[in-house]
Amino acid sequence: MITQEKIDSFIKRIPPAPDALKQTVSLLKEGELTKAAKAAEKDPALSSYLKDLVNKPIFGFKSKVENISQIFGILGVSRSQQSVYSYMISLLSPKEWKLFGLNQTSFYNLQAELNAKWQKILQHLDINDKEIESAISLLPASIIVSEALFCEKIDDVNLLRSVDEIDLNTILQRLCKMDLFDIAARIAEKWEMDEKIIQIVQAASGVKPSEDETIDKLGKWMHLLLFYTLSQPSYIEAGLNDFIDFQTEYVMDIYDDFAQLMEIE
Amino acid sequence: MRAVVKDGVGVFHPQGFLDGNSGNSLLSIEDIESTIKSNADMILVSLKKVVFFNRNGLDAFVKMFQKVRSANHIVVGFCDYDRKKYDTIMKFYKDEVMFSLFKTQEIAMLFASNFKSEGKNVLLYSEDKSQRAAIAIELHDNGHNPVVAQTKEEFDEKAKKEAAYDVIIEDTFLGQMGQKVAARVTGNAIIYTLSSFLDAEIGNTFNIAYHNNSLNVGFRLFIFDAYKVVSMNVHALNFFSKLSSSAAEYNATICFVGMTFEKTPITFKETLEDAGIMFFEQMDDILGDKELLKELGASSAAVTKNKRVLNKQIVTETPNFIDATVATIEMMTNSEAKKEAAKVDNITIDDKEGKIASSIGFYGDIDGMVILVFPIGIAKKACELLIGEETDDNELILDTLAELVNIVGGKVKTLLSDEDISVDITLPRTYPDIDSLLEIAQGKKGVQVDLNFNNDKFLFFLTR
Repeated sequence: MITQEKIDSFIKRIPPAPDALKQTVSLLKEGELTKAAKAAEKDPALSSYLKDLVNKPIFGFKSKVENISQIFGILGVSRSQQSVYSYMISLLSPKEWKLFGLNQTSFYNLQAELNAKWQKILQHLDINDKEIESAISLLPASIIVSEALFCEKIDDVNLLRSVDEIDLNTILQRLCKMDLFDIAARIAEKWEMDEKIIQIVQAASGVKPSEDETIDKLGKWMHLLLFYTLSQPSYIEAGLNDFIDFQTEYVMDIYDDFAQLMEIE
Repeated sequence: MRAVVKDGVGVFHPQGFLDGNSGNSLLSIEDIESTIKSNADMILVSLKKVVFFNRNGLDAFVKMFQKVRSANHIVVGFCDYDRKKYDTIMKFYKDEVMFSLFKTQEIAMLFASNFKSEGKNVLLYSEDKSQRAAIAIELHDNGHNPVVAQTKEEFDEKAKKEAAYDVIIEDTFLGQMGQKVAARVTGNAIIYTLSSFLDAEIGNTFNIAYHNNSLNVGFRLFIFDAYKVVSMNVHALNFFSKLSSSAAEYNATICFVGMTFEKTPITFKETLEDAGIMFFEQMDDILGDKELLKELGASSAAVTKNKRVLNKQIVTETPNFIDATVATIEMMTNSEAKKEAAKVDNITIDDKEGKIASSIGFYGDIDGMVILVFPIGIAKKACELLIGEETDDNELILDTLAELVNIVGGKVKTLLSDEDISVDITLPRTYPDIDSLLEIAQGKKGVQVDLNFNNDKFLFFLTR
């Protein structure tokens, strides 16, 4: 059994924020883009991460963007904040993934893809909310925490998987009494994110719908987005696709809208 | 991704978006291999958690279906879908649907051979008349009580009385059903089971290499159990005509049992009869008639086609064959078996009286046949472990000897695969006396080895 304390101790390490990073986050929260860019430049790892991130094909910039102020300018406050959260998570990303077949690059790609598509969804739904935009960062974060928790009990996990075809999320629940989305909600709490963010990620599990219509709708979009992304070959091979139980019925009413937005033929 | 196998039914549960890329990532070559080896009687792919699929995505699974079917001849198909998905799949594959479609897993289970749920009251409807018939026949065959609605209106009306039925079937399609290729019966006949629609696909699903090797090792009677056949088209007609002609070269007989010609032109029957195929209404008409069975199954093999010569590779591998035989006999008798003399020559059996024999063929990277000849008393001893008790029932002893040679064949297969030589084995054949053996083996050159255990001698012969 993995205790609540153990889980909290993992979550507590997110973020292990150095000063420059903390400053960047708080300035972004105040909407101070220029000052935030200056703060971010002081942290070479953060700067390099941001450059790497925005120059990924999914962002679709024609020429390479190098300057942090320029990057923040292009991204705007919400997406800059989201990107910095992603960086904080990446700091926790293990050097060597033992359970999920990921590496640093594929993990960054996963973050980038989720971020970009979530952004697209929020635009489509006409939602302009910094916190909600950052909510998507919680999913990769909880994948990292899950990997760390599984690694604590890697032998047990492998044994459970070999004797029965149990999905990892069920194993996670049995070992920790929490599933991926509970962990995401827990991280949101620790990061002192808004209560509605906690509710959105809970709804995104597909098994804990929210009574609040908007939150439930966002939960559905997030659930479907997660599966859309995890249906890509690299994540299937990494073992992420069967990590979570997909709830088709839950998302059926938004599927057509989603398919149209993502241009699925 | 691996199938979850329960009660002989293996189910894959892909989830999310299924396109060409993800489909191929979900199923590795190892996954397909392990599915083939899973010994399941039915392989299903549940579409319950698939929110999107395209033709390329399904193709990955359909290719797996084809491989599993050609290896194991079992029921394969998709399940857990709604009307929209059903229509889409039918549109994608149109006339080339070789797999089945079961609306739910519960429906699929009704067709699983070893699933213990007999006696269900089932209401069924399909727009396709022949599908209605095929479904009803399969259900009936599995011990259920099918009620067939002839029209959609009748179906909707009946379906209102939900409580009257255990299961209601619609949006279901039976592709090629389980087709266990061979079963050995006393009398050295091989029985193949056919079902539903016989079309050009029979050329792919019928294991012709296996059949030819069965002919080669001396099987002379092939019975097609055709009770479950709904209809046959001209491609299948040609296939069986050719099969019969080639069998004639070996003096072998092909019979059809239980075939009705309600949906198949009666002229087909005449054509097949002209090709030498015999028709029987009941299996018992052949199997119950020992005289007929003997006449058909033991017809002279003197005209054996293509007498083949022993080659170097077979001789090189002889130690493997002897080791497999010795190991099997040692395991069965718990005593040490020894090799006495070996020579390469035509088979010679000094004293023909009171001896029985058994053979098994192998084919693949190398091909040939192992023959074991035992004095009947020694055969009894060698088979004691399998028989379990004293018996003088010669038929039982012969059957058990077949088991023994089957184990030898299995061991040979394993030993050869260690050397990267891949072979498959045929069913074992038995010979109640030496004369019937010589019909097959006379004049064949091979490696003959005298073996003994507890001073009881028996003969091993390896030939092509």
